[in-house]
Amino acid sequence: MIGKRTRLLLLGTVMLGVAGAAQGQTGANVDWPTYTGDIAGSKYKPLDQINAANFSKLEVAWRFKTDNIGNRPEFKLEGTPLEVGGVVYATAGSRRAVIALDAVTGELLWVHGEKEGARGAAAPRQLSGRGPSYWTDGKEARILYVTPGYQLVCLDAKTGQRIASFGDHGAVDLKADDDQKILPDLVTGEIGWQSAPTVVGDAVLIGSAFREGFTPSSYRNNKGSARAYDVRTGKKLWQFHTIPQKGEVGYETWLNGSAEYTGNTGVWTEMTADPEAGLAYLPVESPTSDFYGGKHPGNNLYANSLVAVDLKTGKVKWHFQFIHHEVWDYDMSSAPLLMDITVRGKTIKAVAEPTKMGMLYVFDRITGKPIWPIPEKAVPKGDVPGEWYAPTQPIPSKPAAYSRTGVGVDDLIDFTPQMRQQALALVKDYKMGPIYTPPVVSRQPPVGPIAVLMAGAANGGTNWPGGSFNPENHTVYVYACNSCLSATALVAPPPGMTDLDYVEGRVGQRVVMVNAAGTNQGADAPPVKAPPPAAGGGSGGRALTVNGLPLLKPPYSTISAINLDSGEIVWQVAHGETPDYIRGHAALKGITVPRTGQTGFNIGTLLTKDLVIAGDATVTTTPEHPRGAMLRAYDQKTGKEVGNVLMPAGQSGSPMTYMVNGKQYIIVAVSGGDHSGEYICYTLPNN
Amino acid sequence: MQRIFALVAMVAVAAIAAMAQPTASVWEGIYTEAQAARGSDGYGKSCAACHGASLTGTGEAPALQGAQFVSDFNGETVGDLFDRIRTTMPQDNPASLPRDQYADILAFLLKENGFPAGAKELDRRSEYLKAIRFEASK
Repeated sequence: MIGKRTRLLLLGTVMLGVAGAAQGQTGANVDWPTYTGDIAGSKYKPLDQINAANFSKLEVAWRFKTDNIGNRPEFKLEGTPLEVGGVVYATAGSRRAVIALDAVTGELLWVHGEKEGARGAAAPRQLSGRGPSYWTDGKEARILYVTPGYQLVCLDAKTGQRIASFGDHGAVDLKADDDQKILPDLVTGEIGWQSAPTVVGDAVLIGSAFREGFTPSSYRNNKGSARAYDVRTGKKLWQFHTIPQKGEVGYETWLNGSAEYTGNTGVWTEMTADPEAGLAYLPVESPTSDFYGGKHPGNNLYANSLVAVDLKTGKVKWHFQFIHHEVWDYDMSSAPLLMDITVRGKTIKAVAEPTKMGMLYVFDRITGKPIWPIPEKAVPKGDVPGEWYAPTQPIPSKPAAYSRTGVGVDDLIDFTPQMRQQALALVKDYKMGPIYTPPVVSRQPPVGPIAVLMAGAANGGTNWPGGSFNPENHTVYVYACNSCLSATALVAPPPGMTDLDYVEGRVGQRVVMVNAAGTNQGADAPPVKAPPPAAGGGSGGRALTVNGLPLLKPPYSTISAINLDSGEIVWQVAHGETPDYIRGHAALKGITVPRTGQTGFNIGTLLTKDLVIAGDATVTTTPEHPRGAMLRAYDQKTGKEVGNVLMPAGQSGSPMTYMVNGKQYIIVAVSGGDHSGEYICYTLPNN
Repeated sequence: MQRIFALVAMVAVAAIAAMAQPTASVWEGIYTEAQAARGSDGYGKSCAACHGASLTGTGEAPALQGAQFVSDFNGETVGDLFDRIRTTMPQDNPASLPRDQYADILAFLLKENGFPAGAKELDRRSEYLKAIRFEASK
């Protein structure tokens, strides 16, 4: 509970109308009540008013600019709104306020924000977050969200006012209510969360997140967990320790007693649940320090695992560790997909997990048994002093990887033989290899390597927007970045930076503290007092490009359809217009370049009855359209693009859909470049 | 009285809007060499830590030099780019520099991206810069 000393200022609610009364309930209404459309993670609604024949006729129903929801505009709007009963609910702005909008007109009905002062300013995950959640018992309706300062706030869905009977006057202090003491204190102690809570029955599931793990200030940190709260009272129902405590199973996988002091290992992304089976599915991330694990030898359960816990108690029912002793920042990044499939004639309640590794792992969600074998395979051993290496890692035998997993010569740019030669000259100072080639200590050429070239790490494959699935055809539709290249290496930290032996960096370059995107950009963040670095002190080095073109060959990003009855990739298409600088590149004149897709990791897909809908990540200007990014629709059966509509900026939050009074709408969050955050709602013309 | 004030305000807005119609191009020598030299210092102090001494980008901070950067802003105005930098950078202390220094840094970025220098300094007022088209090619 929030004590007097840490009581946070309530910014309060500005109520401009009454949510729920905005629209009548005549005609067909289809809601989108959770972040992923349901608690199974599908992002699917079987609506077909907007379809292949008319998608390109979509027009803007309304736009909502989030600039003034907070004291500065935000360029990283990642939310997916909810819609229930004619009202849209979303998180927005550098304040991460909740807004309620009329779903038909976009009119602002109420807005609720919290001024959290120093605690908000110190938050590891700032800005608008991914969204709120909704609960109702049929009589009363509530909105729940987690603030940057890590409070669970419960609001009346009609008015946006705090529900006084929940927690302490409508909020639970998630730092104070953690059963591990948050250090050094509740104001600056590092822990927070940016995802949308998951409401299951009368429980609300909450995760935890930390600062970026490239350059942590210590190998010790606060520990992650997942928790459930009673949605009526705010009382904690259970807390699952992602790092087992002494006496708990898994503690022994942290050698030298490292479970005691290692932190992070949060559940920073979305969770899903199967109320019938009584299970919640928790995707768990990496321990402290993304690329160096020498301080926590061992396999490190439940880091980088999918953990199925009892919804009532939080006790582990089964788990699967995707990566033992993780040193690539391949943490579990998106909602587990709970789908029923039919394999060899047998109906199976399954769970499928898309990953940054570009591999889809599929299990029986009741037992945890893999649907197709996931054998342990020997992986390269590294030579970083003090590091502990797992000799094997599990690799799914099926489905096949749906994006680039490692980097080899065949992955390099090959528009022309000369470009391939240039690429080879560029990579000779780097190490390439298959997936799970570990980071190296950065060494100056000609000794080298400078770094390991990885397809992904922080940004590859599928990130927080996750996958989607159609429960009718048992197919997963998932976006992946196929060209998010990381050159990753370790260096000894400069004095005073950290007590770790190594941090992410590059030989000959100044080590820069890497912050999570959004750090010090939230509405509570004060100006930084530190003096600016000296001139010329920056880290430079050659860009990993060939004549300004990406080092890796296209497709730069894809959408894949993976049928889980067969385990086969049904189709795969490049997603996103070929960037202007590639289409117009002088060195490519006369060369036919098929659509390349775009390099980016924050694209999520929406499924309607027959369509896969996703927007481009970045803007282009082509003979067919003015400057903008396209929201595209693909045929679910074939992957053929069947329509598109212009957005003013790239998609930055996954789209959703709903129907009010018989009319279907699609909302998508856009931002980036010089375009600040905006929710845009599309619908068909009235005639 | 209030109505008259509102009318005046509307006229003023209309005047700014008319002024903002892009008429010049980024290719027409819109900054000076001296200004870009000042901007180079400013870049080193305020930008290089994240975007790299040679503007190639590090981590989540994108490259500020090269085809991709130029094409990302193609079709916008110099004022759009100016305001993006001015209101959000440096990321850990946005809008902390005087406008003149932001203009100097933008002049440096333009020079590094191959846009020619000229006789007149880049203006510090967003509204004026919005009259200059940012074009990837001449």
